[in-house]
Amino acid sequence: MQDTRKPTLLPKMGVNWIGLGTIVRREVSRMMRVPIQAFIAPWISALLFIFIFGFVVGGRIATIGGVRYLEFVLPGILMMNVVNAAFLQSSSAIYFSRFIKFIEEILVSPLSYWEMIAGSLSVVVLRASITGVGILIMGLFFHAVQIQSFPLFLFWVVSVSAVFGLLGIIVGLWSKSFEQLNMPVVFFLTPLSMVGGVFNTVEMLPDWLRWTAWANPFFYFINGIRGAMIGVDETPPGLGVGLTLLSLAVLSITVWRMYAKGYGLRE
Amino acid sequence: MPTPALKISNLRKVYRRGNVAVDDLSLTVEEGDFFGFLGPNGAGKSTTIHCITGIAEPTSGSIEIFGLDAVKNYREARRLVGLCTQEFNVDPFATGRQIVDWMGGYFGMGRAERKARIDYLMERFELGPHEKKSFRELSGGLKRRVILARALVNDPKLLILDEPTAGVDVELRRVLWRYLQEINGDGRTILLTSHYLEEVERLCRDVAIVNNGKIVRQGTKDEISGGPGGLENAYLAATGAEPDHVAGQ
Repeated sequence: MQDTRKPTLLPKMGVNWIGLGTIVRREVSRMMRVPIQAFIAPWISALLFIFIFGFVVGGRIATIGGVRYLEFVLPGILMMNVVNAAFLQSSSAIYFSRFIKFIEEILVSPLSYWEMIAGSLSVVVLRASITGVGILIMGLFFHAVQIQSFPLFLFWVVSVSAVFGLLGIIVGLWSKSFEQLNMPVVFFLTPLSMVGGVFNTVEMLPDWLRWTAWANPFFYFINGIRGAMIGVDETPPGLGVGLTLLSLAVLSITVWRMYAKGYGLRE
Repeated sequence: MPTPALKISNLRKVYRRGNVAVDDLSLTVEEGDFFGFLGPNGAGKSTTIHCITGIAEPTSGSIEIFGLDAVKNYREARRLVGLCTQEFNVDPFATGRQIVDWMGGYFGMGRAERKARIDYLMERFELGPHEKKSFRELSGGLKRRVILARALVNDPKLLILDEPTAGVDVELRRVLWRYLQEINGDGRTILLTSHYLEEVERLCRDVAIVNNGKIVRQGTKDEISGGPGGLENAYLAATGAEPDHVAGQ
């Protein structure tokens, strides 16, 4: 027999801003429990890079691309740390919440998938930005900071951290062990960022090796932020921005589909 | 006729490795009921609850919460539900107050509303002196109280309790029973799973017994426990155990 009883009438939910803000509050609280891991470690690492490659080695190099070597490497060092901060924030947050199962708190709540993703990404951008600001402050002590275009600088920090935040979510959902969680950092992030033009221009590479730079996505991110900071950009105008926006769109849709299908989230 | 609080129709849940956890399960819980959902370990109780609340994805069938589809209208449906899980699925480094506060936030409760509600729950479950300790520092009974407070923070119309008194002392069990009877008296619908049949006999009006993913017996508590041996014998018979053998006679 057909059940003709009417459903409970509730106003349709708009954006759950409080819920979204709560995801941010919770993740900030988790991040602030490990300040050494979240901020001090990347700052020390950046300081060592600045000192050794920029100051000690760079002291023996006259100029590169028309600027001091330290000014040339600083944007790349900053971007490497932004990428690492973004990826580690989202991958560890998702994996930890799956591992301990408190992801279920979010799953039983009236939050849309976009709200869940936006909440996570907000903290990713926050952590990456704080990391970046710390490195800029260090750069100031070495008189190595220039910002030619602040809007472009902001675009690169926010968009690249969002790209790697989304990648981190994918890895966090896919991983079934801490070993798997660390694999992309060891085999992908660290090697590609190191050879992505942080310390050299493409011109400095032998001809037969130059394709590796053009094929490396990190090259475009590093060049982009270098262009925004010191005006030296080896990529055609708009190519890096286009690739970054395309990556953002593809990764956003991928992550949304993973959430909607419950991949790694639901039993 | 009022809309049922929960209506499950032909629910089936098959896990990725092919394990059928719930098989063509149908169930209706009327608004205001105190419903006992019984079954042995692995019978499909928790999986059914996970499908209702969004922790698991149903393979087929439908679930309606106060007439709202729990999959298609999941946001609206979940606003009406509170879940007390069997496991301690919380951030162990967070404090009890944070855990409850965050849950209120996920449900869209404003700061003042959350504070008032959490103050009430902390007092009601005697968590006040412990609210700033991290969850992992709490005793088993206090952890269970935090999980209960978290389930109740949004003042749900349908409260689902998955073995809420497992491992808690007699005192807390009685505090909890009194509270559940009180909110049920106020019109809240409660779905309870428990291995303590005494608890079910004391609290529930209707009972369903599930075994191997299927409902094997359903009715009012009086109907089911009316025979010789009461609810325990009815439960053992329905789940295929032999009462005499189990009793060691």
